[in-house]
Amino acid sequence: MREMSLGSLGSRLRDTGLYRSIVRHGVADTNRNRSLIIFENLFLHVHPVKVREKTLRFSHTYWLGGITLASALVLIATGILLMFYYHPSVPQAYRDMKELAFVVENGTFLRNLHRWAAHLMVLAAFLHMLRVFYHHAYRPPRQFNWVVGVVLLLVTLLLSYTGYLLPWDQLAFWGVSVGTNMAKEAPLIGEQVRFLLLGGHAVSENALLRFYVLHCVVLPVALLLLLSVHIWRVRKDGGVQGPPEEPDIADRGEVP
Amino acid sequence: MSALPPLGVVDSADPLETPRRVALVRPDIRPEVRRREERWVMTFPHLIVREVILFQIVVIGLALAAILFDAPLLGIANPLETPNPAKAPWYFLGLQELLHYFPPVVAGVLMPTLTVLALAVIPYARINLTAGPLWAARPGRTAAGVGAATVLLVALFAAFACWPIVVPTILVAAAIFAARGGESGGRMRRRLARVTLPEWIMTWFVVVATILTVIGTFFRGPGWSLVWPWDAAVFG
Amino acid sequence: MREDLEDLSGIEEEGPNRRDFFSRVGLAACAVAAVGSGIVTLDYLKPKVLFEPPTRFRAGSPLDYPEGVVRFNRQQKAYVIGAPGGVYALSAVCTHLGCITRYLSDEKCIACPCHGSRFDLEGNVIHGPAPRPLQWLEMQVDATGTLLVDTSVTIPHGRVFKA
Repeated sequence: MREMSLGSLGSRLRDTGLYRSIVRHGVADTNRNRSLIIFENLFLHVHPVKVREKTLRFSHTYWLGGITLASALVLIATGILLMFYYHPSVPQAYRDMKELAFVVENGTFLRNLHRWAAHLMVLAAFLHMLRVFYHHAYRPPRQFNWVVGVVLLLVTLLLSYTGYLLPWDQLAFWGVSVGTNMAKEAPLIGEQVRFLLLGGHAVSENALLRFYVLHCVVLPVALLLLLSVHIWRVRKDGGVQGPPEEPDIADRGEVP
Repeated sequence: MSALPPLGVVDSADPLETPRRVALVRPDIRPEVRRREERWVMTFPHLIVREVILFQIVVIGLALAAILFDAPLLGIANPLETPNPAKAPWYFLGLQELLHYFPPVVAGVLMPTLTVLALAVIPYARINLTAGPLWAARPGRTAAGVGAATVLLVALFAAFACWPIVVPTILVAAAIFAARGGESGGRMRRRLARVTLPEWIMTWFVVVATILTVIGTFFRGPGWSLVWPWDAAVFG
Repeated sequence: MREDLEDLSGIEEEGPNRRDFFSRVGLAACAVAAVGSGIVTLDYLKPKVLFEPPTRFRAGSPLDYPEGVVRFNRQQKAYVIGAPGGVYALSAVCTHLGCITRYLSDEKCIACPCHGSRFDLEGNVIHGPAPRPLQWLEMQVDATGTLLVDTSVTIPHGRVFKA
């Protein structure tokens, strides 16, 4: 019997033609391979191959952008799963909520996960904005990225708001009723905007369907597109900027 | 402010010519960057591993919350019966509290629009790029300005009996004046003295928004009356 | 060579050439297409047929409403109230943010649960953040003498329907 350890099994697998046709880099024990892992991967290559060590510290950005992104990923995953049991019609939507709570395996858990991830995403987005502000990380050349961030915050709030109607319970219905009545107060375009949003004069099955399409398709696509621009701009602007630093040390010519 | 450095940009229609400068950043308002050597590390594994750990922490935290706390579900929507109170989601409750004091056009349309616009133009407003510590230059003039602005805001919001805004305004103004002369003092006092005007304004905004949201969430009950938190209907 | 280049630059300064013209026409066509698609899409999104319930309802005979009687029609969200000379109808939708009000018979006023607005029996605001009085609704009488109220038609404040 040949001696087979897990490690040698791994390296034998990695030598096969099949593996090498998919993964074009070796084990991450050389800097060359570590670079290849990043820039040969479609999803990872938004990162630069090297980063400044100080940006890795928690106190640099409190990882708030990362927390926002992580909760967005949780929302997308749980949202898609919830869609398998939800019909956006009246009164079926409410019955589906009950079904998720009492019939579907882990239905309550998934719905709760979706709800709390939504709250976390809104909170983290706000805190992230405040962190960027107090660190002056909106200054040139990062001005436009700040504006993209403000739009992302609005999209996040809208996602939360459109999702709020979907359970079709009293909380949902009246929360959205009051909100759209506020939209009506806007001069000139208020009534028109409300009519378009609701697909009618009052919150009804038309409104539910429209909010469902906005919540599941239009706004997530907008979020992902803007998020891509946002992260790309961070990369192009030289990486995340943390607390402003005292420039006097450079004048003293010190080397760490 | 020094004069702009000469441009020297390649002005050519040749699509193959590579421009030498992509973004021109003025030396006086660029973000502060150390001029000495910085340590660079490989993204894989250092950054990637931190991202993975963060994702796991967020998922585990959310999963714990999902196991312990249920999302609310009231009775089926009934267009003919308004629950009492009818509350918006928590991030809009600050707005709903404002509605109690101001007409819907102001609280529901004007204020949110102005807030969003003010946020969006932050990087393009000169004051945000060049402001130094608030008390650094001409403290007499600063004191008069801050005092006048405080009196104006307090009078405006008191006219609408909007105490949740009046009280934080007075508190933040007190903090601003307390920061004066703080260059000689403990670490906290020195940090307070270094706060710039735009940062004070943002702090004021955040404190007001937080107080309005907290009141709307925990202290409002039926008919939007003031109640103690244990009587308020606190929905998720 | 240099003379040719100078000649070319001279010609360019004379005005837009054929290439510029076609570029502009092409760009204008794209703009028209974009604006047109936007308008057509917006029109597509506006529903032309609504399946909302009819807004006219019967409210009984005028004799059913002596002075001070207030009847609340929950389905149509309207109060039908007896006045000293006739009958009138008020919308039950609060003018603040659209919540449904309730009639408090012991206090003889109409109250909104959402933000505490109160109205008197003629719809005037007596308390709270409501910006406008409750709307008065059109009232008519059909051939058999039954009162007909239309909740989608508002009439001037104070116009009591004389039976």
